[in-house]
Amino acid sequence: MSAIAPKFRFSYFIKSILDNAFWAVTLFALIGIPIMMVLFFYFNLPVMNDKLTTPYLMLTTIADPSRQIPLLKSLIHTDFFRITAFPGFGFAALLAAATIFIERKMLAKLQLRVGPFYCGKIEGILQLAGDGLKLISKEIIIPAKADKPIFWAAPVLFVATAAAFVALIPVAGGGWVVADIDVGLLAVFAIIGFFPIITVLSAWSANSKFPFIGGIRALHQMISFEIPLILSVLGVVILTGSLNLSEIVQSQIHYWWIVFLPIGAIVFFIAMLAELERIPFDLPEAESEIVAGWLTEFSGMMYGLVQLGSYVKLYAFSALFVVLFLGGWNGPMVWPPFPEEIIKNGITMGPITARFPGLPLLDQQMLNDTLWFVIKTMGVIFMVLLPRGVFPRIRIDLLLHIGWYKLIGLCFVNIFIALGLLYAGVLGPGGIL
Amino acid sequence: MADAVFLAISVLTIGSAIAALEVRSLIYGSISLMGTLGGVAGYFLLLDSPFVAMFQIAVYIGSIAVLILFTVMLVRRQLIFFKVEDKRRRYAGVGLMLILMVALGTIILGSGIKTIQTDASPVNFRTIGEDFLTYYWPALILMALILASSVIGALTLARREDMENEQRTN
Repeated sequence: MSAIAPKFRFSYFIKSILDNAFWAVTLFALIGIPIMMVLFFYFNLPVMNDKLTTPYLMLTTIADPSRQIPLLKSLIHTDFFRITAFPGFGFAALLAAATIFIERKMLAKLQLRVGPFYCGKIEGILQLAGDGLKLISKEIIIPAKADKPIFWAAPVLFVATAAAFVALIPVAGGGWVVADIDVGLLAVFAIIGFFPIITVLSAWSANSKFPFIGGIRALHQMISFEIPLILSVLGVVILTGSLNLSEIVQSQIHYWWIVFLPIGAIVFFIAMLAELERIPFDLPEAESEIVAGWLTEFSGMMYGLVQLGSYVKLYAFSALFVVLFLGGWNGPMVWPPFPEEIIKNGITMGPITARFPGLPLLDQQMLNDTLWFVIKTMGVIFMVLLPRGVFPRIRIDLLLHIGWYKLIGLCFVNIFIALGLLYAGVLGPGGIL
Repeated sequence: MADAVFLAISVLTIGSAIAALEVRSLIYGSISLMGTLGGVAGYFLLLDSPFVAMFQIAVYIGSIAVLILFTVMLVRRQLIFFKVEDKRRRYAGVGLMLILMVALGTIILGSGIKTIQTDASPVNFRTIGEDFLTYYWPALILMALILASSVIGALTLARREDMENEQRTN
């Protein structure tokens, strides 16, 4: 019998769950369904089975799976779904969560530890959920002399900026991107420019030494590595003749740009590590020198938001590397086609035959594209995580020296290689390859 | 729709410009300055030139506003600024600005800008690039030389002979 809940019985626990379920169902039937009926009149409902859906038909989908599939299909092609779920934030956050788990487990293996082990029986697979619950339930502490509006806004803005970055990344062919704009690459750099501002403002607003030192370091680092970051992709832009990220991917259908511009890819990768504040460039949050750098004063879910934002940013940068240098979603067709029998005959289980008109939900090409994109992105993320187990932290003067002298020089070498290939008539618009 | 967006952007731009001048806190002032510059980027988006808008954001918000923020944070402002509360200066400034705006407005409205067709297709940025490399090439080379000389000048000014490699000799 525990001290926290002295009268605990398992039957009480079951009873409370049943009670809650009863009230949820009752309230949904009495209040939720009428509100849904009212709200459905204001939405543009899709056409199902050659009939415009009315709110009454909409409610019958609860019982009829043959109506659910067209409904799902129309939902998948809405902007709302794109922004929140698939090419947008939900997908990125899912990959970011996977990244956090893989990072902890992989680092442990590299250093001959076991890593997360006990949560969820199998290799600590539920550790992440446990950490999330812990962060949500912790108190948010704000320093007494902090500048409160900026301090509150900074984590939210960080996540929002990372999500805006994700919105520009094309995941699969056929328009699977939230914002497909002509100047996509420029928009990416415009968005990257917001990260140092948010970092330094949050560091200043905490009104504490360690965050401020970390913020100033982050500002130095991000500003100086933005220049090689931008210059290193100029080669791709010169050879492609386009700033649209989808067009850049389509131009790599036969060969990847990393084959012709390896220097640009390496410079982009190093600058990416610095922008992401990953080891060996993690001076802004150097935990052995300045506690946690600009994250020192964040607690509870504010810290969680900043972590979420930084991992979403990690996904977005890795995806950008894949889009620019590794051919994006291009790859051989390996996804199996949807079985014809289910489309024709439905699923037969004993005496019951369930027919699903409207299948398949997503076409084979798109699933294949997504598979290749995710495989390549996870590969790049792995390469970003790997230095953390291997390298020590770099000194700030060496860091700035690398950024300003070596990387920028290499960028110009890369640009001249691209120009040479273009003017020799090998690649680019009207080239022989 | 465009009118509502235009009004919203105008309110944002002008409001944050006034706030950038009037707010006592320098940090909030520079944040308002970012709002103004972002509003200008919004105007460019409304004018169907996303290329210029993205450069406006990347250069003005991403670099210049950050530099201002950086300077404001690293400088103790009591040392360089002192408050001179002079009402007459403020009113003179507001009056001067009003006169300027009215004059500019009459000139612009009288210049026949209303007869410009608004449904023309946006200028492709590839055309801008081609123009730069063909018709306007002297201007491009001049700009490049000015930028290069200013970068070299800045590097020369920032160079310090007295701190030569104490730390990083080994």
